[in-house]
Amino acid sequence: MKSMKMAAEISPNKAVNKTDPLGVHSEIGRKLKQYYDDLTSEEVPDRFAELLKQLEEQETTIDSTAGKGG
Amino acid sequence: MAGGPTFKVELLGAIPSLRAFAMSLAQNADKADDLVQETLVKAWDKQASFQAGTNLKAWVFTILRNEFYSQMRKRGREVQDSDGLMTARLAVHPSQVGSMDLNDFKAALETLPEDQREAIILIGASGFSYEEAAEICGCAVGTIKSRVSRARSRLQEILKVSGEGDYGPDAISAQVMGSNAA
Repeated sequence: MKSMKMAAEISPNKAVNKTDPLGVHSEIGRKLKQYYDDLTSEEVPDRFAELLKQLEEQETTIDSTAGKGG
Repeated sequence: MAGGPTFKVELLGAIPSLRAFAMSLAQNADKADDLVQETLVKAWDKQASFQAGTNLKAWVFTILRNEFYSQMRKRGREVQDSDGLMTARLAVHPSQVGSMDLNDFKAALETLPEDQREAIILIGASGFSYEEAAEICGCAVGTIKSRVSRARSRLQEILKVSGEGDYGPDAISAQVMGSNAA
């Protein structure tokens, strides 16, 4: 019944601080977030996922051959 | 191995933020992505030193930042400090007082010295606390606070916006009154 207790108990000091110089009330703060959000919402090139896959495979190979670093 | 599949998933999840931080530092998409690639390789190699349950995003940001500065040093580029930029007065002309364009903002951000730029990005955009940002940058919390404050003042100066909360019609009248002082 009370499954929402986590959402209900957001601590007030985490809320937007009115005096926060980079908060939503500041033009600079809002532009900064807009700038950054644009960057984070860019599509991530596949090369990164492929890289991690390769690293993972390499590790498995090294593990299974008990290879020495070199 | 420290993390296994979870580590990889978390690392993947951190990539968009990493790219944004890299772009903020390097100001160039190709360099930024090279930086991210190098960071992922380093993070993978060091994964045993990552303590599960701690903030992975802060950890990889630290790696990326170190990589950025070490590449800059290798290229022989002097790391800008805040004082060094005082001479480089900027020519950014906001298209409209009170409603700056995002491009104006980017241009203004680029004129900041790296230490100030990274501080204001970490605090104002990436959502890190002052303590976390201090850890990422390897400096004191007070140093981060002062860099953020200087970055903000400088951006306000360049973009001709007045203090926090002052945008819209009030910002314009404040601007008019302020410029009488010249």
